[in-house]
Amino acid sequence: MFKRNMLSKVFGIFFSLALITGAAAIAEAEVIKVGSLNDMTGATSDVGKDYALGIAEAIHYINDNGGVNGKQIKLYQFDYGYRVPEALTKYKLFQRLKCVAVLGWGTGDTEALSPTVTKDQMPYVSASYSAHLTNPAKTPYNLFAATDYSSNARAAITAWFDEKWPNHKDYGKRKPRFVCSYMFASPYSSAPIKAVKDQAQLLGFEVGEDQDVSLFAIDTKSQILAMKKFAPDLVWHGNTTMSVASTLRDAYSLGLGADHIINNWGIDENLPRLAGEAANGAMGAAVCAFYGEDQPLMKEVVAYGKKYNPGVPMEKRTVRAIQGWSNALALWEALKRADKAGDLSGESILKNGFETMEGFELGLGGAPLSYKANDHRISGKIPIYEVVGGKIVLLKVVDLKSRWPDKWEKEWLGW
Amino acid sequence: MSTTWLPCSVYHQNYAQDHAWWQTNFIKGKMLVLFLVLFVGIPLYADSYWLSVCNSVGYTVLGALGVQLLIGFCGQVTLGHAAFLAVGAYTSTLMILEFPWPQFLLDWGLAYPISILVAALVSGVWCVIFGLPSAKVKGFYLILTTMAAQFITVDFLITQYISQIGGRGQAFSLPPGTIKFGPWVIDNDLKVYYLMIVLVTLSCVVMINLLRSRVGRAWVAIRDNDISAEVMGINVVKYKLLAFFVAGFIGGVAGAFWISNLAAISPEHFPWFWSLWLVGVILIGGVGSIHGTVFGSIFMVVVMEVLQLLIMYLMDMGFAWAEPLFMDFLFVKEAAFGLAICAFMIFEPNGLAYRWWQIKNYFNLWPFSY
Repeated sequence: MFKRNMLSKVFGIFFSLALITGAAAIAEAEVIKVGSLNDMTGATSDVGKDYALGIAEAIHYINDNGGVNGKQIKLYQFDYGYRVPEALTKYKLFQRLKCVAVLGWGTGDTEALSPTVTKDQMPYVSASYSAHLTNPAKTPYNLFAATDYSSNARAAITAWFDEKWPNHKDYGKRKPRFVCSYMFASPYSSAPIKAVKDQAQLLGFEVGEDQDVSLFAIDTKSQILAMKKFAPDLVWHGNTTMSVASTLRDAYSLGLGADHIINNWGIDENLPRLAGEAANGAMGAAVCAFYGEDQPLMKEVVAYGKKYNPGVPMEKRTVRAIQGWSNALALWEALKRADKAGDLSGESILKNGFETMEGFELGLGGAPLSYKANDHRISGKIPIYEVVGGKIVLLKVVDLKSRWPDKWEKEWLGW
Repeated sequence: MSTTWLPCSVYHQNYAQDHAWWQTNFIKGKMLVLFLVLFVGIPLYADSYWLSVCNSVGYTVLGALGVQLLIGFCGQVTLGHAAFLAVGAYTSTLMILEFPWPQFLLDWGLAYPISILVAALVSGVWCVIFGLPSAKVKGFYLILTTMAAQFITVDFLITQYISQIGGRGQAFSLPPGTIKFGPWVIDNDLKVYYLMIVLVTLSCVVMINLLRSRVGRAWVAIRDNDISAEVMGINVVKYKLLAFFVAGFIGGVAGAFWISNLAAISPEHFPWFWSLWLVGVILIGGVGSIHGTVFGSIFMVVVMEVLQLLIMYLMDMGFAWAEPLFMDFLFVKEAAFGLAICAFMIFEPNGLAYRWWQIKNYFNLWPFSY
């Protein structure tokens, strides 16, 4: 009797497992898997958390709106803590899970994985907007729905040169003085530095010595004092919001007297909150609309934010979530186009998906997406914002492509 | 006296037998099975993901061996070992990218192997420099001087100067085909695995043999009581520095191996946290045991991956509570790391290696164990 009971139990368990596994297999047939690497605990988590929430909310939105031509997206989202070895293992796991594309994060791991994703033909849509990833001849499978760091920096320097420098008391008497403040060791912070200096020289700046400021910095007085000796008129900040806010506060309290331009991951709704008055006048590029701004898709973004992350107050949400949405929606469009062409391979997602987009609007205030087979920079028009009285407002749109057409086409691609 | 359990009536008649590695046919059989699993079984059956997990284990073993030597065998506490991995990685990378290699060496695929050796030597010498304070200080004070290695090497020298060589910016990437070992271009996980397993095996063999020699006995004597060791005629400073050299040497090999795994490096790959992690590896695995280094590495890498796969499986099965756990797995991992160290310190201070030793003893005495 005991034996029979045991046998029936074992058979029952086995049968249930087979049923579950079988059901899972059937369910998987209509699922497209996408991996996502996010930083919610590491060096860039100050901007990474809201981005990760944005990605997850966008995937819910995509699935609620028909998925990829009827196929649901299954998201595997990991926090990798901004650690490169972790990113490598997770990428291999995405391959094992048969993910068709990856939504990546940092410059260090994205650039390090770039040769691997090229070999594997894995579309890798990153939150790193490093210009090193925009040349399809070198990094064909690296993409992002944003203007790159180098273009953003070039545009910000140009906007300051056009709008602020003519009002300076020394205008016409000497060259404007310029320094860079960023974490030397971070590939993210240092990615556009060559382009930043190139643009400064192009516009006739006198360039001072770079200052090494950690992404974790809470005290930057020694760097500010070193800058003071050079008396810069303009400082470019390459770090993320927390670190930039610390630097702005110290610059304000020590009376540096310079204006500030900031890479896009350093300027968001939290900057005026953290830096207070010190942030006034700071300028920087934004690659999409700020949270809650009037944009065609913003109502849905806010609604999904409230629905899936009710614990995060709306006033705490930032442009980072919109950046996450932008990358996810761009990938969605590419997947739909590739699926329509009947092939969801990496090559098809690139060729039939991304590279068929020509002026594609996401509805989130970013530049329309155009990926060419020989150029993955989405646009040469960069909107530059300024912090005015605690609010971030549009200052001007700099059209690098029209202003320097030859350099844009022939010189600036890929760095 | 041999430390191996021998069957009844088997006695050693000379020192060669007494010091032999594999003293019985049973042990030889076990080792053969282990070698077959490592060199044939895993490459045959593991997919790319599991091979990359194995490569992470191997990288951790190579990194932690030096820490084990310093802390576990020589009593020199270190918290800056990631710096020596960085020195190895950067030396090897720069040699491949910048050194004017004669064409025949490139053709024969010797540039990378030579760069590993040079990286190990440079890293060894660099480690000796930061070991010099050990002549004067020990304990907490030595921890601080080894931490200085991290800040001076990675945060200052590599970040500010070495990274700028060749104008590449912070991240160095190696073009495809440059990491070549003889006729083999190391360009997939399987080849990286073979390179890893050979390097780990060689490093373990060298370490074990060193520990069986006069040098190893001197290290252990210094660890147990440096004043007594000096009284016995051991040149304490010389042997301490030798320990730093060997630890740095193996760290250099680890760093040079790392570039084959990713073909790119930046200072971010060698954070101070990694030094701490390596100390955690030997604490969990067992301080003063080569086995412990391997067990600790397996525990820290594989167990965490398996735990993650389990959560993923539960999530796929529809358990909603598993979803946030999956997303926040790094919190789980960090917490597990901290808890594991606390638990091992309290319940198993000798680490996994001691548990392994107990299991072996149980079976050696079975069925008459008591």
